[in-house]
Amino acid sequence: MSIMTYNGAAIIAMKGKDCVAIASDTRLGIQAMTVATDFQKVFKIHDYLYLGMAGLATDVQTLDALFQFKHNMFALRENRNMSPSAFLAMVSSTLYSKRFGPYFVEPVVAGLTVKPDGSVEPYVGGTDLIGCISSPDGFAVSGTMSEALYGPCESMYKPDLEPEDLFETISQCMLAGVDRDAVSGWGVVVHIITKDEVITRHLKNRMD
Amino acid sequence: MASMNDVVQSLKPAGGFEFDLCARNNMLKQMGLKAPKATSTGTTIVGLVYKDGVVLGADTRATGDTTVEDKNCEKIHYIAPNVYCCGAGTAADTENTTALISSQLELHRLATGRHSRVVTALTLLKRMLFRYQGHVSAALVLGGVDLNGPHLYTIYPHGSTDELPYVTMGSGSLAAMGVFEAGWKENMSEDEAVDLVAAAIRAGIFNDLGSGSNVDVTIIRGVDDVEVRRGYQILNPRPYARVRPNDLTRGTTTILSETRTPIHAGHVEYTNEDAVDMETSPVESGGPSSS
Amino acid sequence: MEYPELKKGEVDLGTSIMGVAFDGGVVIGADSRTTTGSYIANRVSDKLTQLADNIYCCRSGSAADTQAVAEYVKFHLAMHKEEIGGEPKVSVAARVVGSMVYNNKDSLMAGIIIAGWDEVDGGSVHIVPLGGGVVKMPFAIGGSGSTYIYGWVDDNYKEGMTRDECIEFVRNGLALAMARDGSSGGLIRMAVIDKDGVERMMIPGNELPRFFDK
Repeated sequence: MSIMTYNGAAIIAMKGKDCVAIASDTRLGIQAMTVATDFQKVFKIHDYLYLGMAGLATDVQTLDALFQFKHNMFALRENRNMSPSAFLAMVSSTLYSKRFGPYFVEPVVAGLTVKPDGSVEPYVGGTDLIGCISSPDGFAVSGTMSEALYGPCESMYKPDLEPEDLFETISQCMLAGVDRDAVSGWGVVVHIITKDEVITRHLKNRMD
Repeated sequence: MASMNDVVQSLKPAGGFEFDLCARNNMLKQMGLKAPKATSTGTTIVGLVYKDGVVLGADTRATGDTTVEDKNCEKIHYIAPNVYCCGAGTAADTENTTALISSQLELHRLATGRHSRVVTALTLLKRMLFRYQGHVSAALVLGGVDLNGPHLYTIYPHGSTDELPYVTMGSGSLAAMGVFEAGWKENMSEDEAVDLVAAAIRAGIFNDLGSGSNVDVTIIRGVDDVEVRRGYQILNPRPYARVRPNDLTRGTTTILSETRTPIHAGHVEYTNEDAVDMETSPVESGGPSSS
Repeated sequence: MEYPELKKGEVDLGTSIMGVAFDGGVVIGADSRTTTGSYIANRVSDKLTQLADNIYCCRSGSAADTQAVAEYVKFHLAMHKEEIGGEPKVSVAARVVGSMVYNNKDSLMAGIIIAGWDEVDGGSVHIVPLGGGVVKMPFAIGGSGSTYIYGWVDDNYKEGMTRDECIEFVRNGLALAMARDGSSGGLIRMAVIDKDGVERMMIPGNELPRFFDK
């Protein structure tokens, strides 16, 4: 069994029109045994930036604290927030510095980049466990059943969805994927980030 | 007791790799938990010297085990204005190794005021890879043009190098080399060279499972005369886009709870509107004087 | 102690290499095959590497290790040349290679022949095998292909051969080794080093001497 599947997780991030969404399951397990059903895997970095981490739960929490700290230090020093791409570069170099003794997480970020004219540009991206960045066109997935998440995303995703349509798409992809994974599920949380608000929704799904 | 400053200092990266998690990771390994595989670029990468320059080529598939992690990744990395480098192997290693040497060369250019030479990039890369004894798994095709003309090298993960007029690397290197051995001529024109490079990459894309998607090409004719043709050939477009359901009907998903958090203006923004342009115009009078 | 082995995926210089001293100089030669497993990564490699104006080495073993050793030795000899204000001796070059290989014997896979010309010793050949020993010899062979021609060289080496006889000796020896050793092949690269400098030679793969299969 892989370390990445020890606790179980499923995460998707998706781009919409002037908005992004990020969803995760909420199960924490120790292999097949479910320990908690309200485990946080998606973390707010700032209003326009959310970070999801799948993998070994202890590392997810360690890195949440570390990234939060690093972003806070940046914000204090520079009096501004990190753009999503800059934040992902920071995540990448943090993970690569542990190239030969890595944290067992695969992070995914979803956020909005504020442009000089005040408009926002959606961004999603992710890295592997040693910090290789990929910034795909539409969506990024991570977790124990990424195969089962890729399928519905490839099929159902389309560009420039409005926030509510993006919500339906990411939610249905998540529910479809999670139902084929024995070690993730037990609740799904979705964040939709627009210029004016963040909508956080818990979904009804199978609890088995 | 440790002060806040000590804590802050301890969290600052010292530079280089850190090995503090190795003991824990070995323990997890002994528990029977397997270490996961990092994203690798199965890859076909090639390079070719032609009459007055170098052409580099690459496919665009990145894989994690058997899953295609990225269908359109960039494998031709910038090293200097006159030097580029294709990377195969562990994606994070090729990305970081090329970026590191690229920044060292930029500093070297600023210090010396001279253009970078391809051999300098080669030497920096091979020394670094040799130092890590093959553990940094980057297999590279380095190409560029400097005052001594066009140069093309391969660099293996253990730090050995070769200089050749045409080279291939990665899992698709055998397929690509077949095309080169059949079609290479001395003193090719730019068009002939680009065609042959594209054919070699196609051989990798269609015959090697680790390579796929598109052909990227970069032509280096001289310093600041570089053409990056990203997506030179799009060979595998999606043949079918789903028509129905056009949109999932709103309300399809059952929501248990919802919180809406408005984002107010006045938060820390990315752009600092207080910033003032630096004074660059000549001072009229009363400026600093040496008297 | 265990001798180092080639790491997985490491580039090997399979290799047949030779060096012979004659009165007034040396002849060195090598095949041109570089392999990764069974794939020929370079069929025209140059395994004859210059260490100083009048000194060359023939590299066998790991490509990465021998290139790194050659780079270090080249640097040390350049410094040494400035210190003594003249051309370094071949025996000094051999000792530098030797100590490099000896001090890193656990991690280096390198068998190197050092040959060249200097004013004191004339043409001379030294061999540094895997553990880092240094042995001066009238002639030396090395690399995986050399095992096939030990008997042949012992039979055919004659004391006091001329320059041209030495070239012939190296050419035939390497051709025989390359014919039997799968890890050696391609073409033959040779160099003659004497008081006047270095002359490089190359015999294409289709013009190699042939023997019983003529």
